[in-house]
Amino acid sequence: MMSSLMINRSRSRCVLLWKTHGLKITSIFSHSFADSVSASSDSTRSFKTTSSGFQSRIFSNFAFPGTNLTRQLSTEAVVPVASTCDGLTVERIIANQWPILDENESDWKSHAAAIAQSIQVIKRRLQWKKLLVRVRMLSVELNKPHLWDDPTHAGKISREHGSLTGKMKGVMTFERELLEHIDMLKLAKEENDSELESETMSALMEMRRVSKEKELEALLSAENDHCSCYIEVQAGAGGTESNDWALMVMDMYKSWAQRRKFSVTVVDEMPGEMAGIKRATIKVNGEYAYGYAKAEVGVHRLVRISPFDSGKRRHTSFAAVAVIPILGDGSTRVQINDSDLRIERFRSGGAGGQHANTTDSAVRIIHIPTGITATCQNERSQHMNKASAMAVLQSRLDQLEMARQTAMNAQHTQSLTEISWGNQIRTYVLHPYRMVKDLRTNYEVSDPDSVLEGDLDGFILSFLSSSLDKGDDEH
Amino acid sequence: MIRNFRFTSFLSAAKPLTSFACSSSPARHPPQFTSSASTPLRITPPKTPLFLRTPSHAAPLSEVLKWQDWAKDLASSVKNSSTKSEDSLDSILLLRELKWLTEDSITDDITRRELGGEKSVKLRASLEELYELWRERIVNRRPFQYVVGCEHWRDMVLCVEEGVLIPRPETELIVDLVEEVVRRDDWFRRGVWADLGTGSGAIAIGVGRVLGGCGRVIATDVSPVAVAVAGNNVGRYELQGMIEIREGSWFEPLKELEGKLVGLVSNPPYIPSDDIPGLQAEVGRHEPHLALDGGVDGTDSLFHLCDGASRMLTSGGFFAFETNGDKQSKMIVDYMNSDLKNIFSDVKIVSDFAGIGRFVTGFRL
Ligand SMILES: C[S@@+](CC[C@H](N)C(=O)[O-])C[C@H]1O[C@@H](n2cnc3c(N)ncnc32)[C@H](O)[C@@H]1O
Repeated sequence: MMSSLMINRSRSRCVLLWKTHGLKITSIFSHSFADSVSASSDSTRSFKTTSSGFQSRIFSNFAFPGTNLTRQLSTEAVVPVASTCDGLTVERIIANQWPILDENESDWKSHAAAIAQSIQVIKRRLQWKKLLVRVRMLSVELNKPHLWDDPTHAGKISREHGSLTGKMKGVMTFERELLEHIDMLKLAKEENDSELESETMSALMEMRRVSKEKELEALLSAENDHCSCYIEVQAGAGGTESNDWALMVMDMYKSWAQRRKFSVTVVDEMPGEMAGIKRATIKVNGEYAYGYAKAEVGVHRLVRISPFDSGKRRHTSFAAVAVIPILGDGSTRVQINDSDLRIERFRSGGAGGQHANTTDSAVRIIHIPTGITATCQNERSQHMNKASAMAVLQSRLDQLEMARQTAMNAQHTQSLTEISWGNQIRTYVLHPYRMVKDLRTNYEVSDPDSVLEGDLDGFILSFLSSSLDKGDDEH
Repeated sequence: MIRNFRFTSFLSAAKPLTSFACSSSPARHPPQFTSSASTPLRITPPKTPLFLRTPSHAAPLSEVLKWQDWAKDLASSVKNSSTKSEDSLDSILLLRELKWLTEDSITDDITRRELGGEKSVKLRASLEELYELWRERIVNRRPFQYVVGCEHWRDMVLCVEEGVLIPRPETELIVDLVEEVVRRDDWFRRGVWADLGTGSGAIAIGVGRVLGGCGRVIATDVSPVAVAVAGNNVGRYELQGMIEIREGSWFEPLKELEGKLVGLVSNPPYIPSDDIPGLQAEVGRHEPHLALDGGVDGTDSLFHLCDGASRMLTSGGFFAFETNGDKQSKMIVDYMNSDLKNIFSDVKIVSDFAGIGRFVTGFRL
């Protein structure tokens, strides 16, 4: 869909340009070609075709071993940096720190800054520098004379080269397109061509939308990111005070999920004695729910004047958050033996059966070998409570297995019981000043109310992109 | 006109009668009623539960919220006034019931966020009725399931009303037991099953769905209200072709199937007569005693079912009965292993999720 959009756009732009600007077209395009990847005449030709809309097909051709094209391209040593006529590059755009305004504001600098930012995230996700080095290494390899004596090896190299150059070219085309739009816009302004100007502006806007999508794709490309998930909140010590905070945190996630158009169902809820909750589990259904929510794992701290304290003193409360992905049918899930399970009525007692009429049919399922339990009490039948608790148990066991297999002690796979109360990730201060600050990214907001009403995406996205950097450093 | 009017008033007067007509003390011997199929005792058609009614009422959001607040207050107030005995309301459960009542009766989402007090909210019952329903729930201890007219049972929603026992969570397991047997051996899938004392039709429909369109289920009940309600529920799950409801006492309507059943399931009345006066208010005051009272020690119907099972089941056939718990289950197992020796095999007690020996199962040799 992406590429077809680009194709359509570039096609219409070419036609338009041809019509309105006659020969001028050559100068613009020749300029951008001078910046493009390869110096060889062959690939310059291929980029001409690119500009008239066949780029995706050409790129996939790179994967074919032994073609002239691959050879030619693999000789490239340095990747040239795309720029506009007056030397503006993506990096410069970012350095300029143009303010990013709302999408509907017709300000090209704002659009450009937003797009550049997305490109930067995408590059980080690709581990750009390493990618370039790797591509160069593979190119050297591909140029060795007797490469095809070992066809398996050659095929492997060639395939990796093809896939990496594909990714590289994708980003570079995107960069170039941004800069071309900017050139075009300036040109339109110079020529007082309002039609072209508005056409280019909307192309920029469209590009901004697409780049945001690509950025998110880049941020949410870990294995289970696309899954739905459970979010669990547990109150820290401190009774009513913390229970109330836990409820506020849970409500924050419910509203956040609603804003994101995820569906939310309460699976389990243990109310506090006076107010709030001791612990609760919600199920958040929707694409990428887990990818976003996993950024919330850890301890959330609240500082405020307690509404429960008649002395009006300042209190600090804690709530722990865990997030469990709900693996799809495609992934391998832990096999659970019925004989390993003990199923109990949650609040049993009394003769039951015909003696009792109750709407309470909560069950607890205990997985005996691991001691992991799951409870559900919000369905209207015992059968459904059991099914729902089973699903939670399954996901908990899957997560345990994931953590075990990869021996990853990654924070976001921690279960509630494992989260240490020392592991604070965010502080919400309502008094004496007002602020929410993420201790991992230092992302900060001065309006706690909006955050507690579910405006969490800033925190989540900044955490996700900071985790990308971490990944880049480690390797 | 006049005839019409009288008929209507007769209807409303007759309603409590049908609910309580059967609360006479049970026979000491296996209760045997003659089939009453010929006498149309049932006069009113089954009621429509709240969630199936058309949302033909409307009220401003502010009024709806006012009702909700009032209902919440009423629910929360019971905490303090009630004793800690088993027979008391629990405000946490009541608040959850209120949430479900709201879901069943109000189509729009009325979360406070989008406050706009004069916005009109569509309702499936008038606001006055909602006040009345919640009052009945708390003041009269009317079971929640009668208030909303349905019970969520397994993955189904069954219509229930006064005169029919509200199916219990424990009983869901009977369907699991059947499912297990059917999964092991396809033979069970193709034969005729019987559910005796079907009430709302819960077990029969559950079994019918497990059989998956191959077999047949015959469900009997002596109560005309139960027969009508069960028939309605069978229809709602479009199982008319597979489940047949017959009015009559226990095996009486099944004469032509003697020795032919592959499965027999039942949750008969099993509460000892002496326990009836002390039952939880929701049960004792509102549910039909015919569905509860099992005679002196509660086993009258159960023993009758055991005897019948030996006659009615074909060789290899399966039975599962629900009982009052450990003591009754042992009595049944002992009876089958002594008086009915060499007729059944694998007779055993199966526990419910509270750990109570709730079911007796076995096979006809
Ligand atoms: C405990 S209720 C069970 C209802 C339903 N099977 C369930 O599990 O929810 C017992 C049922 O047996 C019915 N019953 C009582 N005496 C009966 C009899 N003699 N013959 C047939 N059914 C009878 C009652 O009307 C009632 O519906």
